[in-house]
Amino acid sequence: MFRRQFMTTALAATMLTAPAAMAEMAAKITEPVTITFYSYNLASAGLGKDTTEGLIADFMAENPMVKVEAVAAPSNEILSRVQADIVAGQQPDVAQLVFRDLIYAAKDLGAQPLEDLAGDELKAHSEGMVPNGLALGRVDDKTYGLAYTFSTPVMFINADLFRAAGLDPDQPPRTWAEVKAAGIAIHEATGKHGFFPGAFGPIDGTFVYQSLVMSNGGQVREGNKLTYADPAAAEAVTMLRDLRDSGAYADIDVAAHMDTFASGDLAMFLFTSAIQSRMVKAADGNFELRVVAMPSFGDKPTAPTNSGSALFVLSQDPVKQRAAWELTKFLTSKHAYTQITSKIGYLPLRLDIVDDPKYLKDWVEANPMIRPNLEQLTRLTPNVAFPGPNYRQVESMMKDAAAEAVLGTGDPVEVLKAAQERGQALMPADG
Amino acid sequence: MKADTRRLVVHAPMIVLSLLAVFPVWWMVVTSLKPENEIFSTRLWPASPSLENYAYVLDAIPMIRILWNTFAMAAATALAQVLTGLCAAYALTRWRFRGSGIAQGLIALSWLVPFQLTMIPNYVLATKLGMLNTIAGLVIPNAAAAFAVLVLTNAMRSFPKDLIDAARMDGAGHLRVLCEVVVPNLRAPLASLGVLAFISAWNEYFWPLLLTRRIEDTVVQIGLQMFMTQEGNQWGAMMAAATLASLPILLLYLVLHRQIIDSFMRSGIR
Amino acid sequence: MVQTLDATFALPARAPSRRVLWQPWVYLAPTLATLVVWIYWPLIEAAYLSFFQWNMLPTATPRYVGVENYANLLTLPEMGRAVRNTVLYILGLLPLSVVLPTAIAILTQDLSGPFRSLYRSLIFIPMIIAPIVAAVLWRWLLNEDHGLVNAGIEVLGLTPVGFLKDPSIALWTLVWITGWKLIGFATLLLSAANGTIDPGYVEAARMDGASRWQVIRDIRLPLLSPTILLLTMMTILFGAQWSFVYINALTGGGPLQSTTNVFYLMWDYGFQSYSAGWSATAGMLTFAGFGVIAMLCLRLMKRFAVHEG
Repeated sequence: MFRRQFMTTALAATMLTAPAAMAEMAAKITEPVTITFYSYNLASAGLGKDTTEGLIADFMAENPMVKVEAVAAPSNEILSRVQADIVAGQQPDVAQLVFRDLIYAAKDLGAQPLEDLAGDELKAHSEGMVPNGLALGRVDDKTYGLAYTFSTPVMFINADLFRAAGLDPDQPPRTWAEVKAAGIAIHEATGKHGFFPGAFGPIDGTFVYQSLVMSNGGQVREGNKLTYADPAAAEAVTMLRDLRDSGAYADIDVAAHMDTFASGDLAMFLFTSAIQSRMVKAADGNFELRVVAMPSFGDKPTAPTNSGSALFVLSQDPVKQRAAWELTKFLTSKHAYTQITSKIGYLPLRLDIVDDPKYLKDWVEANPMIRPNLEQLTRLTPNVAFPGPNYRQVESMMKDAAAEAVLGTGDPVEVLKAAQERGQALMPADG
Repeated sequence: MKADTRRLVVHAPMIVLSLLAVFPVWWMVVTSLKPENEIFSTRLWPASPSLENYAYVLDAIPMIRILWNTFAMAAATALAQVLTGLCAAYALTRWRFRGSGIAQGLIALSWLVPFQLTMIPNYVLATKLGMLNTIAGLVIPNAAAAFAVLVLTNAMRSFPKDLIDAARMDGAGHLRVLCEVVVPNLRAPLASLGVLAFISAWNEYFWPLLLTRRIEDTVVQIGLQMFMTQEGNQWGAMMAAATLASLPILLLYLVLHRQIIDSFMRSGIR
Repeated sequence: MVQTLDATFALPARAPSRRVLWQPWVYLAPTLATLVVWIYWPLIEAAYLSFFQWNMLPTATPRYVGVENYANLLTLPEMGRAVRNTVLYILGLLPLSVVLPTAIAILTQDLSGPFRSLYRSLIFIPMIIAPIVAAVLWRWLLNEDHGLVNAGIEVLGLTPVGFLKDPSIALWTLVWITGWKLIGFATLLLSAANGTIDPGYVEAARMDGASRWQVIRDIRLPLLSPTILLLTMMTILFGAQWSFVYINALTGGGPLQSTTNVFYLMWDYGFQSYSAGWSATAGMLTFAGFGVIAMLCLRLMKRFAVHEG
């Protein structure tokens, strides 16, 4: 296969891709066209799947010329599926990809820069969108991914455990020092776990880790230089290590943190708000659930970064590009975000619908738990993806090092430094 | 007294082992009967058992269709592996010929190639052959297995040569010898091999995950995956789905367990 | 089957036949065609590709990098740990896949009647449970806070065990889950082998005044040795690969990389990274490594196996 692929490579590079990239998106769809839509929301049973299927059906009803063929793949597999299909010659049209793959999607997968694809239309469409949210999908000043389903880290609180430890759940911890104090108190008084950040382990939590780093003024990389062992970034990690050494940090299976919180054994849980509806159900009849904003380092404002995904237009064919762009617009419209927010629980990229009675007003009033998350949206800081062919390995090394620094026994700063040095060798060279 | 001790020595480890084998499966069924807010309780039987998880699973994914796909895929794979293995083993044992060593080596060595290595290239090939979303695509790449050839070669080695020679004398062609003389005498290893191949095909996960892109075309292990997400697992539903995924094969086993165990004991897989 | 493995991996000891026949190839064709198309072709291409840096995309050009991919993978600091863990997985599995089943097979040989078939049917059950289901079940049972096993441990007045959380225990937990699916199957194979031992040998030894233990040591174990060696070899060659599903589903190699092994490392650094060069290299290394181990095993087996008669 690979050898055959070499042949096509040569052909494709010289003949196919170059003209396709220059071809302009069709202005209108005049005959029936079928496009594929790769989505991980479709790969798990429940509201995410039902809502997404509903949106696709709505879109097809509105655009009778376009048939959308949905492809489901779990979020950690979806990129390899898209890539495998490109290799196999089954060009995907629209894909929902996570932000860690942003640069790869832009530079290697051939995602279309939306400014070039749809210039003025993009401008009109992005009216009313949160500017911070739009920035999430940008690489080198061009928008390759249109932020789609995303959310920020919030702190879930088990109010019953707070009361059991003699603390007031109406005065939840706002800074890390307060988290430490509360965590220790709860652990000592109840024997249950104090605090846990869903930052490490097999369930992807890099956005939680990055939120912490950036809230302390750090960065995981600047340009092609890794900086996650630099003082401001490393301090965020040593803070967690201190929480752990003090007993405030829950000593639990990192792969089952959601279950530990859902079972009522954890008091404070920092993780994506996307799990909110599940936590509400689990808490029902068992304990009182509250949601607050992520804690801060002293007076520094937090810099919550996002989990979730953006939509990428990958089509090479002008007519399919038009259909793909129409689908992308539809999925990020007021109607779609009303569905996505109220049914799945992600954040709306359009804040103007929050107080609009036609859209989300009633729902937000009935579900005040989304408020802390909406409030954080104003400080949303883009998740940092890594560049170059080894970006996954680089990120993997960083995650392992951060986990080792917090949960291991070695000196945290040294652990980070060693990993950063090794990771730097896998980064693209400058220039 | 002494006899009692001996009986205890014999039974105790078997009882412990049987419990260890069965308990997790029992716990799966119990958990599947628990309503959402009771999921985390450690009661050995739910306070208010309900079938809501099953109703949810059947509603959320086309489970019957998926079970049928899985059955067709597993049965076809098992049959293919038995047939290809039978032919290859017959060739390797019936004739001494130039290149037989190489053929044997190729077959055995294929066992050591990690599936992770072949997955993506095979996906590309399967796509080009139009086998995406098809049961053929799930079966064909697994139509031959080193294990099947090895087991059957061994079984045929100990097969009385005289019988074959006698049949050949009577003018029977090789295919007829294989069908009418060899197969009837190898029922036990063929049956246990078929069962093993069926089970492992039923439990296949990584290849169908890649190859099927519509929920209607997928198999149970992937159906199960639908209840595990980055946003947390739906435990009750997943246990119900896992029970449904294991049920057909458990039932099959319940009905045929004596024959299956028997054929294992006589199969010569040893 | 040992003989089969022996003959196939080590090539026939007898002089190769010079007869050129076409008939056997007709019968071999379906098997060989399947293996060549779906296993060897990708393997050959992987070997070629392991010298390139390429993400397989038609828009990118493969870049020849020589042995750089090999150097990168082999010098990963995580590699040492992964290799060590692979050995631990194998060593940990051996008691569950070989020692315990052998003991049980011999211990229960006199068992007869309904109990025997009941036990045999029950211990076979884990074998038919899908690995992914087994992973999910055991995570559920072993959780420190709401798992049934720890609830039991606490009832006994002991401190709960972090089966999947504690870096010094997690690997053994995964070994147990892998072994759980194997015990029953291995026991059946050994019971079958034990059942075919000619009672005459045992009777003769008894007449000579051999004790129960002596009979086991001098007659049963040597006669069971082909099966024991086969199971040992299977565990060595495939044990770490069998654990892969559980690492992937349960720990992702953690906590603190304590449960990673070569298969998982290669999955993580090679196959998950969309770089065909890395993944091809990773696959080639695994294939070559276990190929060498297979040869060594067979050589050892040839030397130590005792055949009946």
